[in-house]
Amino acid sequence: MYSKEELFLAISTVIDPEVGFNLVEMGLIYDASCDVDGNAYVKMTLSTKACPMHQLIQQWVKEAVLKMANIKGVEIDLVWEPEWNITMADEHVKQALNRG
Amino acid sequence: MFSISQDFAPPFKLISPFFILGSLFYLVSIIYIFFISAENLFILDTKIIGFVHLFLLGFIMMTIFGAMAQLVPVVLEVGHFGVELFYAIWPLLGIGTIMMVFGFVGYPMLLPFGGVVVLISMMIFVMEIFLTIKKIKKFNLVMKSILVSNTFLFFGVIFGLVMSLGYSGLITIDINMLLRGHLFLVIIGYIVITVMGLSLVLLPMFGLSHGFSQKPLERAMLMVSVAVLLVVASSFYPLAILEYSGYLLAILGLSIYFYFINSIYKTRARKEIDIYAKSLMFSYFSLIASLILAIVYFFIGTEEILLCSGWMMFFGFFAFAVTGHVYKIIPFLVWFERFSPLVGKQRVPMLADMVPKQSSSAQLLFSAVGVVIIAIAILLQDEKLIKAGASFLLIGVLAFVRNVFHMINYK
Repeated sequence: MYSKEELFLAISTVIDPEVGFNLVEMGLIYDASCDVDGNAYVKMTLSTKACPMHQLIQQWVKEAVLKMANIKGVEIDLVWEPEWNITMADEHVKQALNRG
Repeated sequence: MFSISQDFAPPFKLISPFFILGSLFYLVSIIYIFFISAENLFILDTKIIGFVHLFLLGFIMMTIFGAMAQLVPVVLEVGHFGVELFYAIWPLLGIGTIMMVFGFVGYPMLLPFGGVVVLISMMIFVMEIFLTIKKIKKFNLVMKSILVSNTFLFFGVIFGLVMSLGYSGLITIDINMLLRGHLFLVIIGYIVITVMGLSLVLLPMFGLSHGFSQKPLERAMLMVSVAVLLVVASSFYPLAILEYSGYLLAILGLSIYFYFINSIYKTRARKEIDIYAKSLMFSYFSLIASLILAIVYFFIGTEEILLCSGWMMFFGFFAFAVTGHVYKIIPFLVWFERFSPLVGKQRVPMLADMVPKQSSSAQLLFSAVGVVIIAIAILLQDEKLIKAGASFLLIGVLAFVRNVFHMINYK
């Protein structure tokens, strides 16, 4: 129904208010898919297990996907393997963080 | 709108009094310095003891307790046992601190009453933390550090109460014998071990550090914990070997801790040197200065070196570590409460937008200069230089109070 790229595009509207980049360019979204009935699945992680915004961020991801037409439900799979590190982020994010 | 569990972010009205009162106590402690003269510059001078309690209980402990209301669920990965208990902690801690300070500066009969009020507030805090810890199924290093530090606080406060009863003349005890135990339990055992444990979570989280080893921190924490036990034991069995091995282990443990902090710094992906990073840099610089002075004290033995080491530890290491984290914690809590429900509906600020840049830089600069000037003044026993340093610190702390209110009222 929706491709991985389309789902990633929807999720890219979610911005981490601490670092100012969206979750997709941060490399925090590992996978996304959607079946013909409109049930979406998002596999994601966070930059740290101790993130106090983890509930909020998952909620935002869910809401961003639910805004897409004909999406009926979203399942979020929050995983810690592989552990996130900065090499997973887009090049411009790495450069911006490196510049300070 | 959607409902968000407040397990990981307690209501801001519960936490804000800790930060407001803490910053005001910080301001009062700096004003207090103007009333300290050169003849008070001794560790056991009651004016100095009152000053230290005003600063440590009123500012450092008050702010740490407020921060822990938010950080405990984050680092322990479980919700609070009873976060509402924090509503009782700040008034009791505030009243108890004021009574204790008046007790030290001229009304000794107030001391045991103030001590009991502080004891009650801290027992509520410690018990709440213990009952929260009880919910944990699998312990990691940070969780262990919270358990150990709060156990030390529990005993440290009891030592303090016994000492306050002795000061007021209600019981006869050797106060000096208990002093080092009390100092080590509360300052090294609670404050330092708490800072060490939290830094494993907070520094990598804000700096996006990955791939560093936890081993140095494990060793450092073990050494510092054993150091506290040895010094406490030396309060009851006055053997020089126990006491000095404790001091040595503490210095060694803190040096390893500094090495660990440096490894987090080196592996960070986020190179931005914001007010948080600058505050922590000065904080850790002060820790090193404090440790060097403590080592020099062992060889030279003059009291002003020990006082200066304590000054750098309290007003350099502790104060800047606390103020730095306040610039992260208050914006998060205010943002969470005020702006998070608006995400996706209207433009919301980033957390960094909520920190007043110029005013926070002024706070850091004036406070850091003030800390260094007073450190030199203590070594030279120069009263005028102390007042000069206090003037810088006063401007710094006024900016800090202003910043706290600015962040709390950010709209």
